[in-house]
Amino acid sequence: MYICHKNLCMTFDNITEDGRLWAVRYDGEVDNALYIILDRWNDVRWLRTFFKNNFNDLVSHFKITDINQAINDTLDDAERLQYLIMDISSEADLDELFRHLEPSRMKEVLLGKEKAKIKNRRQHASWLRIYAIKLSQGIYIITGGAIKLTAAMQERQHTLEELTKMEMVRNFLLDESIVDSDGFEDYLRELK
Amino acid sequence: MDMETTVNKIKAYASKTPSRWREEAEFRIGNKTWLRYSQTVAMKMLDRMEELGLTQKMLAEKMGCSQQYISKILKGKENLSLETLFKIEKVLNLKFINEPEFV
Repeated sequence: MYICHKNLCMTFDNITEDGRLWAVRYDGEVDNALYIILDRWNDVRWLRTFFKNNFNDLVSHFKITDINQAINDTLDDAERLQYLIMDISSEADLDELFRHLEPSRMKEVLLGKEKAKIKNRRQHASWLRIYAIKLSQGIYIITGGAIKLTAAMQERQHTLEELTKMEMVRNFLLDESIVDSDGFEDYLRELK
Repeated sequence: MDMETTVNKIKAYASKTPSRWREEAEFRIGNKTWLRYSQTVAMKMLDRMEELGLTQKMLAEKMGCSQQYISKILKGKENLSLETLFKIEKVLNLKFINEPEFV
Protein backbone atom coordinates (compact mmCIF):
# COMPACT_ATOMS: atom_id res chain seq x y z
CA MET A 1 0.00 0.00 0.00
CA TYR A 2 1.31 3.44 -0.94
CA ILE A 3 0.26 6.21 1.38
CA CYS A 4 0.45 9.97 1.37
CA HIS A 5 0.12 12.16 4.41
CA LYS A 6 -0.09 15.92 3.92
CA ASN A 7 1.74 15.66 0.56
CA LEU A 8 4.35 13.29 2.03
CA CYS A 9 4.15 9.85 0.43
CA MET A 10 5.89 6.87 1.92
CA THR A 11 6.08 3.10 2.25
CA PHE A 12 8.04 1.01 4.75
CA ASP A 13 10.86 -1.50 4.24
CA ASN A 14 11.47 -4.37 6.61
CA ILE A 15 15.12 -4.21 7.69
CA THR A 16 15.45 -7.15 10.07
CA GLU A 17 13.01 -9.64 8.50
CA ASP A 18 11.37 -10.24 11.89
CA GLY A 19 9.54 -6.92 11.64
CA ARG A 20 11.28 -5.18 14.54
CA LEU A 21 13.24 -2.66 12.49
CA TRP A 22 11.79 -0.77 9.53
CA ALA A 23 12.92 2.11 7.34
CA VAL A 24 10.78 4.70 5.61
CA ARG A 25 10.96 4.89 1.82
CA TYR A 26 9.94 8.43 0.87
CA ASP A 27 8.31 9.23 -2.44
CA GLY A 28 10.84 10.05 -5.16
CA GLU A 29 13.79 8.48 -3.36
CA VAL A 30 15.75 5.61 -4.93
CA ASP A 31 15.45 3.49 -1.79
CA ASN A 32 14.72 3.73 1.93
CA ALA A 33 16.19 6.13 4.49
CA LEU A 34 18.78 3.59 5.72
CA TYR A 35 20.05 2.92 2.19
CA ILE A 36 20.35 6.64 1.51
CA ILE A 37 22.29 7.58 4.64
CA LEU A 38 24.72 4.65 4.31
CA ASP A 39 25.23 5.52 0.64
CA ARG A 40 25.96 9.18 1.46
CA TRP A 41 28.24 8.32 4.36
CA ASN A 42 30.35 6.20 1.98
CA ASP A 43 30.46 8.79 -0.81
CA VAL A 44 33.73 10.76 -0.67
CA ARG A 45 32.54 13.60 -2.93
CA TRP A 46 29.29 14.04 -0.98
CA LEU A 47 31.17 14.03 2.34
CA ARG A 48 33.74 16.55 1.11
CA THR A 49 30.98 18.95 0.00
CA PHE A 50 29.17 18.49 3.32
CA PHE A 51 32.26 19.19 5.44
CA LYS A 52 33.26 22.16 3.28
CA ASN A 53 29.78 23.62 3.78
CA ASN A 54 29.91 22.95 7.53
CA PHE A 55 33.61 23.64 8.08
CA ASN A 56 33.10 26.20 10.86
CA ASP A 57 31.08 23.68 12.92
CA LEU A 58 33.75 21.03 12.37
CA VAL A 59 36.44 23.37 13.68
CA SER A 60 34.53 24.95 16.55
CA HIS A 61 32.83 21.82 17.92
CA PHE A 62 35.41 19.12 17.07
CA LYS A 63 38.67 21.07 16.58
CA ILE A 64 39.18 19.31 13.24
CA THR A 65 40.61 21.38 10.40
CA ASP A 66 41.49 18.57 7.99
CA ILE A 67 38.53 17.72 5.74
CA ASN A 68 40.06 14.37 4.76
CA GLN A 69 40.33 13.38 8.43
CA ALA A 70 36.64 14.19 8.83
CA ILE A 71 35.86 12.06 5.77
CA ASN A 72 37.96 9.14 7.05
CA ASP A 73 36.34 9.32 10.50
CA THR A 74 32.90 9.28 8.86
CA LEU A 75 33.81 6.26 6.71
CA ASP A 76 35.01 4.42 9.84
CA ASP A 77 31.87 5.24 11.84
CA ALA A 78 29.54 4.45 8.93
CA GLU A 79 31.14 1.03 8.69
CA ARG A 80 30.61 0.40 12.40
CA LEU A 81 26.99 1.53 12.24
CA GLN A 82 26.43 -0.66 9.21
CA TYR A 83 27.81 -3.69 11.10
CA LEU A 84 25.57 -2.83 14.08
CA ILE A 85 22.45 -2.90 11.91
CA MET A 86 23.49 -5.96 9.90
CA ASP A 87 24.37 -7.95 13.00
CA ILE A 88 21.02 -7.45 14.75
CA SER A 89 19.98 -10.96 15.76
CA SER A 90 16.51 -12.15 16.72
CA GLU A 91 17.59 -12.00 20.39
CA ALA A 92 19.07 -8.50 20.15
CA ASP A 93 17.33 -5.78 22.15
CA LEU A 94 16.76 -2.78 19.90
CA ASP A 95 15.99 -0.68 22.97
CA GLU A 96 19.74 -0.95 23.68
CA LEU A 97 20.61 0.43 20.23
CA PHE A 98 18.20 3.38 20.25
CA ARG A 99 18.02 6.14 22.85
CA HIS A 100 15.55 8.98 23.41
CA LEU A 101 16.29 11.92 21.14
CA GLU A 102 15.97 14.26 24.10
CA PRO A 103 18.21 12.88 26.90
CA SER A 104 16.09 14.77 29.44
CA ARG A 105 13.02 12.69 28.56
CA MET A 106 12.75 10.13 31.36
CA LYS A 107 9.53 8.34 30.44
CA GLU A 108 8.20 6.68 27.34
CA VAL A 109 5.93 8.72 25.08
CA LEU A 110 3.69 7.53 22.28
CA LEU A 111 5.74 7.14 19.09
CA GLY A 112 8.81 8.64 20.71
CA LYS A 113 11.62 10.18 18.68
CA GLU A 114 14.80 8.16 19.05
CA LYS A 115 18.42 8.13 17.89
CA ALA A 116 21.19 5.59 17.43
CA LYS A 117 24.88 6.43 17.49
CA ILE A 118 28.24 4.81 18.05
CA LYS A 119 29.50 4.81 21.59
CA ASN A 120 33.07 4.83 22.87
CA ARG A 121 34.64 6.33 19.78
CA ARG A 122 38.29 7.32 20.13
CA GLN A 123 39.51 10.91 19.63
CA HIS A 124 36.06 12.51 19.39
CA ALA A 125 32.41 11.62 19.77
CA SER A 126 30.79 10.23 16.65
CA TRP A 127 28.74 12.77 14.69
CA LEU A 128 26.68 10.18 12.84
CA ARG A 129 23.06 9.78 13.91
CA ILE A 130 20.33 7.40 12.78
CA TYR A 131 16.90 8.76 13.64
CA ALA A 132 13.84 6.62 14.27
CA ILE A 133 10.34 6.53 15.68
CA LYS A 134 9.69 3.96 18.39
CA LEU A 135 6.54 2.15 17.32
CA SER A 136 6.30 0.09 20.49
CA GLN A 137 8.63 -1.80 22.82
CA GLY A 138 11.51 -3.10 20.66
CA ILE A 139 10.02 -1.95 17.31
CA TYR A 140 11.51 1.02 15.46
CA ILE A 141 11.08 2.82 12.12
CA ILE A 142 14.17 4.60 10.75
CA THR A 143 13.17 7.99 9.36
CA GLY A 144 16.62 9.26 8.34
CA GLY A 145 20.02 10.19 9.61
CA ALA A 146 22.47 13.05 9.72
CA ILE A 147 25.97 14.24 10.44
CA LYS A 148 25.31 16.25 13.57
CA LEU A 149 28.09 18.72 14.34
CA THR A 150 26.16 21.12 16.58
CA ALA A 151 24.68 20.67 20.04
CA ALA A 152 21.05 21.09 19.01
CA MET A 153 19.32 19.79 15.89
CA GLN A 154 17.47 23.07 15.51
CA GLU A 155 20.73 24.93 14.87
CA ARG A 156 21.27 23.69 11.30
CA GLN A 157 18.94 23.22 8.35
CA HIS A 158 19.96 19.62 7.57
CA THR A 159 19.30 18.40 11.13
CA LEU A 160 16.15 20.50 11.41
CA GLU A 161 14.87 18.69 8.32
CA GLU A 162 15.40 15.36 10.10
CA LEU A 163 13.25 16.60 13.00
CA THR A 164 10.55 17.59 10.50
CA LYS A 165 10.69 14.16 8.84
CA MET A 166 10.33 12.45 12.22
CA GLU A 167 7.31 14.60 13.03
CA MET A 168 5.67 13.86 9.67
CA VAL A 169 6.16 10.10 10.00
CA ARG A 170 4.90 10.27 13.59
CA ASN A 171 1.76 12.13 12.46
CA PHE A 172 1.17 9.60 9.73
CA LEU A 173 1.44 6.68 12.17
CA LEU A 174 -0.98 8.43 14.54
CA ASP A 175 -3.49 9.14 11.76
CA GLU A 176 -3.34 5.54 10.55
CA SER A 177 -3.58 4.23 14.14
CA ILE A 178 -0.34 2.28 13.77
CA VAL A 179 0.37 2.61 17.46
CA ASP A 180 0.76 0.49 20.54
CA SER A 181 -2.63 0.30 22.32
CA ASP A 182 -1.28 0.89 25.83
CA GLY A 183 0.74 3.84 24.62
CA PHE A 184 -2.26 5.23 22.78
CA GLU A 185 -4.42 5.10 25.92
CA ASP A 186 -1.71 7.00 27.83
CA TYR A 187 -1.56 9.52 24.99
CA LEU A 188 -5.34 10.10 25.11
CA ARG A 189 -5.21 10.49 28.90
CA GLU A 190 -2.50 13.15 28.53
CA LEU A 191 -4.60 15.04 25.98
CA LYS A 192 -7.54 15.30 28.43
CA MET B 1 -2.22 -3.88 20.25
CA ASP B 2 0.41 -6.59 20.80
CA MET B 3 3.72 -6.71 18.95
CA GLU B 4 2.45 -9.10 16.28
CA THR B 5 -0.58 -6.92 15.53
CA THR B 6 1.62 -3.83 15.31
CA VAL B 7 4.00 -5.59 12.92
CA ASN B 8 1.09 -6.84 10.78
CA LYS B 9 -0.33 -3.33 10.59
CA ILE B 10 2.91 -1.83 9.33
CA LYS B 11 3.36 -4.74 6.90
CA ALA B 12 0.24 -3.47 5.13
CA TYR B 13 2.28 -0.42 4.13
CA ALA B 14 5.35 -2.36 2.95
CA SER B 15 7.14 -1.20 -0.20
CA LYS B 16 6.28 -3.08 -3.39
CA THR B 17 9.85 -3.46 -4.56
CA PRO B 18 12.63 -4.89 -2.36
CA SER B 19 15.22 -2.57 -0.87
CA ARG B 20 18.82 -2.89 -2.02
CA TRP B 21 20.27 -1.70 1.31
CA ARG B 22 21.50 -5.14 2.46
CA GLU B 23 22.94 -5.99 -0.96
CA GLU B 24 24.87 -2.70 -0.96
CA ALA B 25 26.02 -3.17 2.65
CA GLU B 26 27.25 -6.71 1.88
CA PHE B 27 29.09 -5.36 -1.17
CA ARG B 28 30.82 -2.72 0.98
CA ILE B 29 31.81 -5.35 3.55
CA GLY B 30 32.98 -7.89 0.96
CA ASN B 31 35.06 -5.31 -0.92
CA LYS B 32 36.14 -3.04 1.93
CA THR B 33 39.89 -3.31 1.29
CA TRP B 34 39.92 -1.97 -2.27
CA LEU B 35 36.97 0.35 -1.60
CA ARG B 36 38.99 2.13 1.07
CA TYR B 37 41.85 2.46 -1.40
CA SER B 38 39.43 3.85 -4.00
CA GLN B 39 38.12 6.36 -1.41
CA THR B 40 41.68 7.50 -0.63
CA VAL B 41 42.36 7.99 -4.34
CA ALA B 42 39.15 10.07 -4.62
CA MET B 43 40.21 12.26 -1.68
CA LYS B 44 43.65 12.93 -3.21
CA MET B 45 42.08 13.64 -6.61
CA LEU B 46 39.60 16.12 -5.15
CA ASP B 47 42.40 17.90 -3.26
CA ARG B 48 44.48 18.21 -6.43
CA MET B 49 41.51 19.24 -8.60
CA GLU B 50 40.81 22.06 -6.15
CA GLU B 51 44.47 23.15 -6.23
CA LEU B 52 44.47 23.18 -10.03
CA GLY B 53 40.98 24.67 -10.37
CA LEU B 54 39.81 21.67 -12.41
CA THR B 55 36.13 20.78 -12.77
CA GLN B 56 34.92 17.22 -13.35
CA LYS B 57 34.20 18.14 -16.96
CA MET B 58 37.73 19.45 -17.51
CA LEU B 59 39.24 16.35 -15.90
CA ALA B 60 37.05 14.09 -18.05
CA GLU B 61 38.34 15.85 -21.18
CA LYS B 62 41.96 15.55 -20.08
CA MET B 63 41.55 11.85 -19.28
CA GLY B 64 39.51 11.09 -22.38
CA CYS B 65 36.56 9.62 -20.51
CA SER B 66 32.98 10.61 -19.66
CA GLN B 67 32.07 13.03 -16.88
CA GLN B 68 29.80 10.31 -15.47
CA TYR B 69 32.81 8.03 -15.05
CA ILE B 70 34.78 10.79 -13.28
CA SER B 71 31.79 11.29 -10.99
CA LYS B 72 31.84 7.58 -10.06
CA ILE B 73 35.59 7.70 -9.39
CA LEU B 74 35.21 10.75 -7.13
CA LYS B 75 32.57 8.99 -5.04
CA GLY B 76 35.28 6.46 -4.16
CA LYS B 77 33.25 3.48 -5.28
CA GLU B 78 35.06 2.53 -8.48
CA ASN B 79 37.32 -0.50 -8.82
CA LEU B 80 40.04 1.34 -10.72
CA SER B 81 42.10 -0.39 -13.36
CA LEU B 82 45.86 0.15 -13.58
CA GLU B 83 45.25 1.99 -16.84
CA THR B 84 42.86 4.44 -15.16
CA LEU B 85 45.18 4.92 -12.18
CA PHE B 86 48.04 5.67 -14.57
CA LYS B 87 45.90 8.27 -16.39
CA ILE B 88 44.92 9.92 -13.10
CA GLU B 89 48.57 10.02 -11.99
CA LYS B 90 49.65 11.56 -15.30
CA VAL B 91 46.89 14.17 -15.60
CA LEU B 92 46.92 15.29 -11.95
CA ASN B 93 50.62 14.71 -11.35
CA LEU B 94 49.94 12.36 -8.45
CA LYS B 95 51.73 9.16 -7.45
CA PHE B 96 49.69 6.25 -6.08
CA ILE B 97 51.81 3.26 -7.01
CA ASN B 98 55.56 2.87 -6.85
CA GLU B 99 57.02 1.11 -9.86
CA PRO B 100 57.87 -2.50 -9.00
CA GLU B 101 61.49 -3.42 -8.66
CA PHE B 102 62.53 -6.48 -10.60
CA VAL B 103 65.43 -8.53 -9.29
